[in-house]
Amino acid sequence: MFLLLPFDSLVVNLLGISITVLFTLLLVFIIVPAIFGVSFGIRKVYMKTLLKIFQWATLRIERGAKEKNHPLYKPYVNGIIAKEPTSLEEEIKEIRRSGSGKALDTPEFELSDIFYFCRKGIETIMDDEVTKRFSAEELESWNLLSRTNYNFQYISLRLTVLWGLGVLIRYCFLLPLRIALAFTGISLLVTGTTVVGYLPNGRCKEFLSKHVHLMCYRICVRALTAIITYHDRENRPRNGGICVANHTSPIDVIILASDGYYAMVGQIHGGLMGVIQRAMVKACPHVWFERSEVKDRHLVARRLTEHVQDKSKLPILIFPEGTCINNTSVMMFKKGSFEIGATVYPVAIKYDPQFGDAFWNSSKYGMVTYLLRMMTSWAIVCSVWYLPPMTRQPEEDAVQFANRVKSAIARQGGLVDLLWDGGLKREKVKDTFKEEQQKLYSKMIVGNHEDRSRS
Amino acid sequence: MGSAHSVPAEMRELADRTGFTSEQIEHLHRRFKQLSRDQLTIRKENFDSIPDLEFNPIRGKIVHAFFDKRNLRPESDGLADEINFEDFLTIMSYFRPIEMNMDEEQLDRFRKEKLKFLFHMYDSDHDGKITLQEYRNVVEELLSGNPHLEKESARSIADGAMMEAASICVGQMGPDQVYEGITFEDFLKMWQGIDIETKMHVRFLNMETIAHCY
Repeated sequence: MFLLLPFDSLVVNLLGISITVLFTLLLVFIIVPAIFGVSFGIRKVYMKTLLKIFQWATLRIERGAKEKNHPLYKPYVNGIIAKEPTSLEEEIKEIRRSGSGKALDTPEFELSDIFYFCRKGIETIMDDEVTKRFSAEELESWNLLSRTNYNFQYISLRLTVLWGLGVLIRYCFLLPLRIALAFTGISLLVTGTTVVGYLPNGRCKEFLSKHVHLMCYRICVRALTAIITYHDRENRPRNGGICVANHTSPIDVIILASDGYYAMVGQIHGGLMGVIQRAMVKACPHVWFERSEVKDRHLVARRLTEHVQDKSKLPILIFPEGTCINNTSVMMFKKGSFEIGATVYPVAIKYDPQFGDAFWNSSKYGMVTYLLRMMTSWAIVCSVWYLPPMTRQPEEDAVQFANRVKSAIARQGGLVDLLWDGGLKREKVKDTFKEEQQKLYSKMIVGNHEDRSRS
Repeated sequence: MGSAHSVPAEMRELADRTGFTSEQIEHLHRRFKQLSRDQLTIRKENFDSIPDLEFNPIRGKIVHAFFDKRNLRPESDGLADEINFEDFLTIMSYFRPIEMNMDEEQLDRFRKEKLKFLFHMYDSDHDGKITLQEYRNVVEELLSGNPHLEKESARSIADGAMMEAASICVGQMGPDQVYEGITFEDFLKMWQGIDIETKMHVRFLNMETIAHCY
């Protein structure tokens, strides 16, 4: 037994020393720079190295596939059907024209009219734009994450070893590191904001709260190894404005808030989120709603208006799509935030899926699973563009303004601009939309009818 | 994601029967899985998840056509509760494009098949005839979006069209002759001259693989 003792203390000593060293390294290289907003550039080097490895891996796979004659790349499909760009009227006229030589302006119903709608219906059943947007973007190369490995099978030993090494590094080294950082960040946020909350209101409190928030968001950014490039920082949102961005994942908040001071808007949750939310609001005014209040649009609009009219309060951060989209397109913006009449600062966020897919498919993964996936990816790489501020023109209404902002964001981020409602992921089409096609067709038939009876 | 691909022999058989290429079948299979939420069969409710389809005034009839047994197998009748992938492909094959190397007889058969599909859409009580009531039904559905249109007008439009159909099929009718309904032969007569086989199809995009470079 006495023989064990020196070993025991040796092991304990070693453990103690290594943990201290690790923590010191953590502090020096990550936490302290986060507090002061400087960067050693370690993440950029990491990204470059990873890219080189991916390149090598893809080349190997290509070579291997050629040897074995496997079909390799997923065909790039933007829809599988050639949809003709003709309108309802043109098509129906054409069908009638090729028919029994009747005069074109006979405005009666023809048996063949049903054909246009039938074909359109089958086309949408075969392939529609909207449902495609809600599954994660499919990659065209392999980034050594098995979750993106669809078509690639076992190619070579070296590649599998590399992949295994990757798994080891990600789960045993990066994951604990990131969890430790996240933990530090969140606890600092909660304690920091609570402490600042005890101070009397004034310039000092504002200054401190802004910086406490910023510091904690920066630590969280490093906890995810997010490598963010900000463009056009001179357009950053100012007090009394609303910042509007496209939504891909809950991480969007952290990404934007680590580069500016924002007031958050959202529903109060229970659990850990609730604790964080309540602590944050002690330090500076955020806009949190109870679940029951969320349904009341007028109340929401009133509180937001009050907030933006107070110039001492920070700009509001809002995601008007209302749900997470898979970052290949921008869906319809809900008009609520555009009715308030404040200056809108659009921001486009585009993730590079090569290093880790940030899209949160909330029907597939819960929040915790999602965060784990994020923390075991290589990195989150994204670009943020701050677009010049926009205001609502006198001759446009809220919906048109929302669409204008949406197009600007889509254009900047290289995303497809869709007219569809992001809420369709969960609900069905509103009845008003359904009637448009029917109205058009009936106008065509009956409108002409009226002309005839008049003449 | 790893979907289990169907066995190649089955695939070839499906390809021969329905006329799709194996790549198109693979795409349609993926679409089927999406609609059925990874189940083996689809029911009517699954079509509710296609937002674009809500636009379509005859949505009900189109979905119904998928479950109409007359479209699924020759010489059968009635309604199915759910369909599997093979049935799905069978319905889709009514819309496949014509191939260049088809001869007259094949083209004619093709045309008849497509027209029969449309006929079944009109003939909702499966009695082999499109009666005036069924015709009115279709017209009302197509024109139902217009709130200013009274039922009377829709009805008169349908009646007018039906009379015209009668005149094409039967010619001049005596004063006490009653036109029962449009049979399939009459239906064929009405579509003469409209080359439906070139219009009633959905064209698949040519799937090119795109190589990318860093």
